[in-house]
Amino acid sequence: MDAEERELFAKSLGRATAQHTGEALDAALDELGWADALAADPRAAVAGLFEHQGAANATSSALDLVLAAGLGLDPSRAGLAVVVPPLGRWSPPGEAGSSVRGLGTAALARRAGAVVVSPTAGGAGAAAVVVAPDGLDLRTVGGIDPALGLVEVAGGGLAPASRPTLADGAWPAAVAAGQRALAHELVGASRTMLDLAREHALERVQFGRPIAAFQAVRHRLAEALVAVEAADAALGAAWDDGTPFSAAVAKAVAGRSARTVARHAQQVLAGIGFTTEHPLHRYVRRALVLDALLGGAHSLTRRLGEDLLAGRSLPSILPL
Amino acid sequence: MDLAEFRAGLDRWLDDNAAALAPDRSASHGLDEQMAHLSLVKRASYDAGWMRWGWPERVGGLGGSTLLRAYLGEALTARDLVEPGIYSMTEVLAPTMIDYAPPALAVEMVPRLLRGDETWCQGFSEPGTGSNLASLSCRAVRDGDGWRVTGQKVWTSLAQYAQRCVLLTRSGTPESAHRGITALFVDMDTPGITVRPIETMHGAPEFCEVFLDDVAVPLDRTLGDEGQGWAVAMDLLPYERSTSLWHRGAYLYRRLERVLAAAPPGALTPEQVGEVFQQVYAFRARSLATQHRLAGGERLGPETSLDKILLATAEQAVYDLVGDGLTDEVLLGDDPAGGRWRSEMLYARAATIYGGSAEIQRNIVARRLLDLGADA
Repeated sequence: MDAEERELFAKSLGRATAQHTGEALDAALDELGWADALAADPRAAVAGLFEHQGAANATSSALDLVLAAGLGLDPSRAGLAVVVPPLGRWSPPGEAGSSVRGLGTAALARRAGAVVVSPTAGGAGAAAVVVAPDGLDLRTVGGIDPALGLVEVAGGGLAPASRPTLADGAWPAAVAAGQRALAHELVGASRTMLDLAREHALERVQFGRPIAAFQAVRHRLAEALVAVEAADAALGAAWDDGTPFSAAVAKAVAGRSARTVARHAQQVLAGIGFTTEHPLHRYVRRALVLDALLGGAHSLTRRLGEDLLAGRSLPSILPL
Repeated sequence: MDLAEFRAGLDRWLDDNAAALAPDRSASHGLDEQMAHLSLVKRASYDAGWMRWGWPERVGGLGGSTLLRAYLGEALTARDLVEPGIYSMTEVLAPTMIDYAPPALAVEMVPRLLRGDETWCQGFSEPGTGSNLASLSCRAVRDGDGWRVTGQKVWTSLAQYAQRCVLLTRSGTPESAHRGITALFVDMDTPGITVRPIETMHGAPEFCEVFLDDVAVPLDRTLGDEGQGWAVAMDLLPYERSTSLWHRGAYLYRRLERVLAAAPPGALTPEQVGEVFQQVYAFRARSLATQHRLAGGERLGPETSLDKILLATAEQAVYDLVGDGLTDEVLLGDDPAGGRWRSEMLYARAATIYGGSAEIQRNIVARRLLDLGADA
């Protein structure tokens, strides 16, 4: 896509995510040819959809397509869901292709098959099996964000319908693709939280002036913008760089930034932001779950620190 | 000359000349030694051509993208050949000089700065004028075909070494605020100028007080027009928050690597190391985009305050890590290496103060980027 086409496509995605969520958004994405766009221009497709999806607090099963593409699965298998690891983790959720414990999108039960990736013996590689969703124990998650519609996936004695071959590095590539998508969704959610707080600060009058005039409030909002732009920059670098390393850093930064923005926005919105009459709570809930999926700020940061301390040197990063 | 060619050629040249360009850190490497060594490195880089790339040909440069300048400073600081703060004064002052000085003056002066023949300083802050720059009161009065300047500046970095000063003066009425400011390019050996270095807690007298008593400045040393000084300052500040920050970030990354290598096992937790790395990384990602915007001809503005906030925060985080990881060296060390860690750790406390305090940067973000209107 050229710049103009990318902009048009992003606008269409903005409309789709503003108007639809869940199954209806999946249908709208089919109509827009999002899966083809993902194959042709992954950055434009992923950035355009997930940022808008986060901004609108919408949900879709697009993460399944991102992960399947990351695994290198045949595009004709687009009707597959991919089981993701439990919260805070990013290692393959399956064990020897015969049991699994993890999470899936709301669409998992409707899919033709669910991809379960397991580490191979020795742990260096990964192998995939496709199983029928009705052979898995599925529980629709309420939890802190019922609107997200995640399902908890468990299963033993799996009977694979097929065993697609994964290339070397397919699982880390899929995790990286998923982390970039989730980081975009976090950035989108963060921008909306900041917008909501900003509008409130300009409208809410106390002591005869909008509270946006008070430095304590202004600096919270400034801090939130710093956090959002740091995540945005790390994410831009992750696309340019393309490695699992940079995707994990971007995901961790985006998760921590979203928590920072949520904290400041909640404080600036004060009482109204604590009620269900105001949309903020939906974004706060969503950000907490998105942060934890495919590795959270906490777990990714600790692993990064362990690796850096073990290596006692730093990688070359982000050349001019 | 494209960036890849420049990078390869410069890296080779730096490898070949590593010994000649390396500072002697065996004994005291104080500010005098740092300044002398900076001149040596700039001179050698200029003579070999590297320092001239990325600057316009009309001021002695060889043209090419500003990315070449960004990479040169990155290479020199990351290889620990020069200290980034004193190196980057060139990045802060030369672009504005090129934009606003009478052309002949820029042609005469800029090469001296690039070649390391001269040091320049930036006379902005005053005893009564810190964050509120538009309130400055150093008086400039027209007298025949020149100016007479009387007043005081403070926190003027490197003034004791400087041959020239980019000086902001009050040429209008005291109430004229930002409208009545004029920028002058002043020779520091002009009679009436007295410089007094300030002893700082990190041990290097980097900042000075500058006293000006009826100092004569020729009219052709006016930068921009009379009363245009605010525009000059606003032109300069984004440079202070762009390429020079890229250089400091590159240096910071190497120092982070050093502390990881030198800290005893168990002194640092993985959580803190990971988070500090991410802060430095996110700054670098942000600054990388800024370097490319600058190279693409974009005019930089208030959005560079985000770069400044990210770097200052990351810098303090790195040196908090130094304090935890190298406690003995920082607190007890009396050898050159310990003294250096201590000096840097203390200097990092100023990262949220100099160049526009953390609070001022957040005010800029609130007013200019978030459009929150005037504050109370």
